[in-house]
Amino acid sequence: MANSKYDLVVIGSGPGGYVAAIRASQLKMRVAVVERDLPGGVCLNWGCIPSKALLNSAEMMEAIRGASAEHGIATGEITFDFKRVIARSRAAADKLSKGVRFLLRKNKVDYFEANASIAGPNTVALAPVAGKPAPPAEALAAERILLAAGSGERLLPGMKIGDGVMTSREALVNDRLPASIVIIGAGAIGAEFGYFYQAFGAKVTIVELEKQMLPGFDAEIAEELRKNFVKRGVNVMLGHGYKSLARNGSGWQVALAAAGKAATVEAEAVLVAVGRGPLSRELGLDCVGIEADRAGYLKIDDSFRTTCPSIYAIGDVARPPLLAHKASAEGVAAVEIMAGVREPGFDLMNIPGCIYCEPEVACVGLSEAQARERGIEVKVGKFPFRANGKAVAVNQTEGFVKIVASKQYSEVLGCQIIGHHATDLISEIVLGRTLETTTLELGRSVHPHPTLSESIMEAALAAEGEAINF
Amino acid sequence: MSNEIVMPKLSDTMEEGKILRWLKHPGDAVHHGDALAEVETDKADMVMEAFDEGVLAEIRLKEGETAKVGTVIAILRPAGAGAEASAPNGGGSVEPKPAEVVSAETKEPEEATAIPSSGPRLAPIRAAGAARKRRGAEANGENRPPRSTPRAIGRSEAADEEPAEPAKGTIAGKVEPPPPEFHPALSAVRSAGPTAIPAPPARDLTVATPVSDVPAPSGEAGKLRASPLARRAAEEAGIDIAHIRGSGPDGRITKRDVDNFIREQQLFKFRRLIAPREGMPGTREELSKMRKTIAHRMAQSKREIPHFYVTVEVDMEEAVKLKRSLEATELFEEDITYNDIIVKATALALSRYTRMNASYEDDGIVIYPHINIGMAVAVEDGLIVPVIHECEHLTLPEIARAAHRLVNKAAHGGFTSEDLSGATFTISNMGMLNVEHFAAVIVPPQAGILAVSAIKDRPVVRNGQLAIGKTMMMTVACDHRIIDGVVGARFLNEVKRFLENPASLLV
Repeated sequence: MANSKYDLVVIGSGPGGYVAAIRASQLKMRVAVVERDLPGGVCLNWGCIPSKALLNSAEMMEAIRGASAEHGIATGEITFDFKRVIARSRAAADKLSKGVRFLLRKNKVDYFEANASIAGPNTVALAPVAGKPAPPAEALAAERILLAAGSGERLLPGMKIGDGVMTSREALVNDRLPASIVIIGAGAIGAEFGYFYQAFGAKVTIVELEKQMLPGFDAEIAEELRKNFVKRGVNVMLGHGYKSLARNGSGWQVALAAAGKAATVEAEAVLVAVGRGPLSRELGLDCVGIEADRAGYLKIDDSFRTTCPSIYAIGDVARPPLLAHKASAEGVAAVEIMAGVREPGFDLMNIPGCIYCEPEVACVGLSEAQARERGIEVKVGKFPFRANGKAVAVNQTEGFVKIVASKQYSEVLGCQIIGHHATDLISEIVLGRTLETTTLELGRSVHPHPTLSESIMEAALAAEGEAINF
Repeated sequence: MSNEIVMPKLSDTMEEGKILRWLKHPGDAVHHGDALAEVETDKADMVMEAFDEGVLAEIRLKEGETAKVGTVIAILRPAGAGAEASAPNGGGSVEPKPAEVVSAETKEPEEATAIPSSGPRLAPIRAAGAARKRRGAEANGENRPPRSTPRAIGRSEAADEEPAEPAKGTIAGKVEPPPPEFHPALSAVRSAGPTAIPAPPARDLTVATPVSDVPAPSGEAGKLRASPLARRAAEEAGIDIAHIRGSGPDGRITKRDVDNFIREQQLFKFRRLIAPREGMPGTREELSKMRKTIAHRMAQSKREIPHFYVTVEVDMEEAVKLKRSLEATELFEEDITYNDIIVKATALALSRYTRMNASYEDDGIVIYPHINIGMAVAVEDGLIVPVIHECEHLTLPEIARAAHRLVNKAAHGGFTSEDLSGATFTISNMGMLNVEHFAAVIVPPQAGILAVSAIKDRPVVRNGQLAIGKTMMMTVACDHRIIDGVVGARFLNEVKRFLENPASLLV
């Protein structure tokens, strides 16, 4: 069976690959997935899911800590078992990974645990994974191949993992809480781990080369987050470039440079969170002449086709943004285009980006600055959560909603939210943008009271200068 | 008080019609003679004209949609009538009052009521010079007004000889209230009649219009689906969003559709700009449907088909003798023409060179089992190409009879769709126009066309002696995608051989 031809062989079982495989099976294709690690890929096992479990523990810590001061609830001394915190996150990941395996089986998708590489336009070679049984076949024949190999953690020159130097992958299973940690990079991963370690009492320093946290995000949102982190006691060093790393006793000394001046920070552990890069090198691209750009992203067309017509690519290995939900959506789109049930094309402008530290950050579409760069005349509506009844009631008044609309049509160009449950609130805007909603409809839609979602309505009204509660 | 405009029956064989384009839109004032819509039928693209004054209240059949003959496709209400007049079937409940029925054509009172409800009365203008033979529309649609009767058909035919003129005097005489009935009758006096050139595949018949296929408000409820942003953008651009075709789920109109629409409109304006400009001497004529079709098909041919040409000179001495001897003996019912002789010779040659009787397709060559020869016939401002089918089975006199019948129809009308479609090869004969030599444009998707010039006295060499002979130049144009020079040349020489040895044509 393994040697007969598949309609589609998917390399990678992350949120892009496994979703594409199931959709392909629904569309009556005979599908196989090849995975070298665990079903569900980085997202389920080494990213989104376990990190959210950790952040949930961190929130719990904060809530309990605040219980006495805010609510008059006495708790006595708070203690925790960090091993249990980590173990709980692993359990969540394991549960979901098994769920993916089940879903693939249920949808009659053949699953191979192997290192996959392209051996020809219609051939995927399978090599054994170290320490695992050899795959039942050396190669799979495929009408089409979908590359969904994802991305890996990036390192900077001179860095070596081990002895307290970690990427997010190691940090997720590191069950010994460091007393102090330097996080290099203030992007999504840096911010989330910074919040997590701070909540559990580590001394956290975040170092960022750019002049703001969350590079690429709206500057106002980033500044709000920075203030919040500083208030919590995190040392945020912006505009500091990483120079080198040196062992210092049982800890590490990180040499930095800021505007020509040298600086150093010391800590027991170092978390490298300088982004991720596509895992395209080991796929055997040269064999069939698939082209990649300098960063390693594969060149694809409107139909997700690489420069080899029978081979497609989606998700992190194809192009940024490196987000699970983008990979899933691309996977579905690619397979539907293959099956001829969907027109080519994919809207990258309506992919929400989310950060799950507290306060949460979520955004979609253009920021005010990006819109202006494109020469669009904009109006911006802003509404702070401190003016929202529900936020005050639950004492989550940090942050605000910002809606960027075109002056011409009141088109919702983008939205940025920082605050409690921001990542859930953003979906209203994503749907609105899918339906080409203007601020008028957002403002006129009756939102339940009291909810945080009223802030979206108010921000939309504010864009028209008609906010009621602010 | 409104009138239902129904899909007219435009030919004997017509069962349904497709709206290519509405030329009037809801709310537009309609005057007598205004073009209401372009309708594609099995035979031709027609312009429906209004017989009556009023306001187009509602369009029920979207552009690009097809409906059976008799189906209500639009509602016309009297100018100044209240909004209730546009209510669906609003006119149906009104009892017609014979005295107020507006029709100068009325001859028998009991038939008068039938006229307003008989639906559009249209007549395709057939080949120029052809007699207009009008057919009343059969009001057999589901939505026909209750007063509609089958007698309408007979009535309409009876009215054929009269100019299609509503009794304007009657209307003019009534100032208040507005006339109770408005004729949905329409005429097609501007239509081009049969498709100019037979086109086996229907796909190319539609003439592209600058306005995209337009949906009327879609859905049962008539609710137009458009995003808020699209509505707003259309409004600001001053565009009625109902004119825009939606690309979203269930035809939902998005901002991109509005942008595309605006771009198309600008492009259309631009094309107009580079057309003859105001101030430049010259008059501008609207293209007839036939001209449009010819323009479209010929441009498509030259754009897509790599033509090459082969010419031979044919000694027609023997053929001339044959024709004269047949005339002298009056053996056959019909006179045999040179054209018939050429058709027969061509059919024989085609049966030996099947590649000439074929079509190129992207992934193959279709060789046709039958030899259906089209003959280009000039009509006023255009040409039509009636077809002699299955020439491989026809003797010369049979070909002559078929050709005679077709020529008659070209002059007097009465083509069936079969007469004008299905050609696999075409002959264009300009012999009667005294031309020395010419080449013709292939009619897609055929593979070749034979251009036949005049038979002339020319110097010929016979037995080493210069003599005066009767010769004719023939040029075949071939689709080089499937025919190479050798095949084209051999085919043409085969035609020549039959013409120079015409006894073979009588077998």
